[in-house]
Amino acid sequence: MTLWPITLVTFKEGIRNRALYGITLFALLLFGATALVATMIPREVGKVSVDMALSTISFTGLLVVLFVGINLMAKDLDKRTIYTVLSRPISRSQYIVGKFFGMVLIIIATMGILSLLAMAVLVLMKMTFAADFFSRFSWQLIILADCLVVLMLILLSAVSFLFSSFTSSSFITLVLTIITYIIGESLSGVKALVESPAQAVGFTVSPLTRRMVEAAYYIFPNLSLFDIKVQAAHALTVSSSFVIWTVIYGLIYIVLSITLAALIFTKKEFP
Amino acid sequence: MDNINIAVADNSPMCSNNMIKLVNISKKYNAGIGEKRVLALDSLELEIHQGEVFGFLGPNGAGKSTTIKILMNLIYSDSGSAEIGGKDVRNPEARKVVGFLPENPYFYDYLTADELMWFGGKTAGMDLKSIRKRSDFLMTKVDLQNARKRSLRTYSKGMMQRAGLAFALIHDPDVVILDEPMSGLDPIGRKMVGDLLIELKQQGKTVFFSSHILNDIERFSDRAGIIIGGRLRLVDSLSKLLSVNSNLEEVFMKEVEAAEGEAAP
Repeated sequence: MTLWPITLVTFKEGIRNRALYGITLFALLLFGATALVATMIPREVGKVSVDMALSTISFTGLLVVLFVGINLMAKDLDKRTIYTVLSRPISRSQYIVGKFFGMVLIIIATMGILSLLAMAVLVLMKMTFAADFFSRFSWQLIILADCLVVLMLILLSAVSFLFSSFTSSSFITLVLTIITYIIGESLSGVKALVESPAQAVGFTVSPLTRRMVEAAYYIFPNLSLFDIKVQAAHALTVSSSFVIWTVIYGLIYIVLSITLAALIFTKKEFP
Repeated sequence: MDNINIAVADNSPMCSNNMIKLVNISKKYNAGIGEKRVLALDSLELEIHQGEVFGFLGPNGAGKSTTIKILMNLIYSDSGSAEIGGKDVRNPEARKVVGFLPENPYFYDYLTADELMWFGGKTAGMDLKSIRKRSDFLMTKVDLQNARKRSLRTYSKGMMQRAGLAFALIHDPDVVILDEPMSGLDPIGRKMVGDLLIELKQQGKTVFFSSHILNDIERFSDRAGIIIGGRLRLVDSLSKLLSVNSNLEEVFMKEVEAAEGEAAP
């Protein structure tokens, strides 16, 4: 119950942030571009519009996590808002968890609105173009892909909370989060590359590099798991066990990150 | 058990309850990599009784804020123990009875004063009705009645300070800790804070406030402590402090000189 006030205040503060208007405007432009680009490739209009709509959602969500989410924590620390918050009967862990739930609400709310917009665009495209361009079209898969994007964003946000618990400036948190995103997105590809036989890829990989990539694979979140845009665009089958394991993986990663952040935060001093 | 209580009561004429208790508090700061650690507080001992207004006086950088931050569990002491209302400050429960105004308070930009009051009340476990009643009262008191629906981003420094005071008092705390409550206020604001201090005293609240303005300490506190260079040099009731010297300035300057004298050789 002590979490709720922190969560709600965080949500209100984040959702009224001016940066969100800019990000929303940007998303609207991208949706417009979706319609425009898709019409240029009439044969693939179904696939292209699904792919672009989902990419818009995940890219805009990334901006929300990076510029609204990190800012939320950073402002508490930089402007010493945290003094007034921690002067209440709230433990440090409750503060972190409450704050994180607030951020989760912001992500769900903004992504919910964006997803509705994306679906409106898709409905519009379906109405404009002949049905056979949408022969491989599945709302179920689109919604599933959308949900996995939201989970990925929540995970990235949890990681940014972890970073902000030990870094001294929000800029470092921002950089570390971006690096994590880039590594997380490309990790499984790189791992597949270094593990493939030398004659197949045309170069040999030193055992050290292979071990480093493997270590990174277990430390950094594997974000490409959450990306099923291609499957959604082409209406390929996605096994339910894959989805379940991905969700479990995401949840475990989130819980670990926030727990670690809370532990570090409990030791932190605010001079 | 009874005997101990009586003994404590005998020692303090004001009241038997120690609302704030600091025992042997020391704190060192890291000045930078490879540099010597700076001693910010040196074995500080302090007890503040219930119903007392205690003024904490010292030059800039003497350790006033450090002491207050240790009390609010924002930083941790290297040694010793700190208690509020008989509870260790590391226990969040200790802060249930405390209202705190930090130096230059800052709140969320996009919240209104009303939402801030809601947050303060909710975290203290109040229900909505009493929050509304209490914030009506406090908003009138600190003269923010007309601005309570505005976002805090638009507030001036003085308004922020007053909002901070209302936030500190929303749950009617027994102990009020104010870090430089008068700083940056205009004469009207200063008078308002002063009146509030007197009112809190009349209600039997324990007030601990820091200041480097002698006049404020002289006017509002029952007891005062002078801290210089991280060491509490003098703690006494104001009447006793002023009985030796005619005004607090002389007392204070004498301590500053004595401290410099000790540091010099």
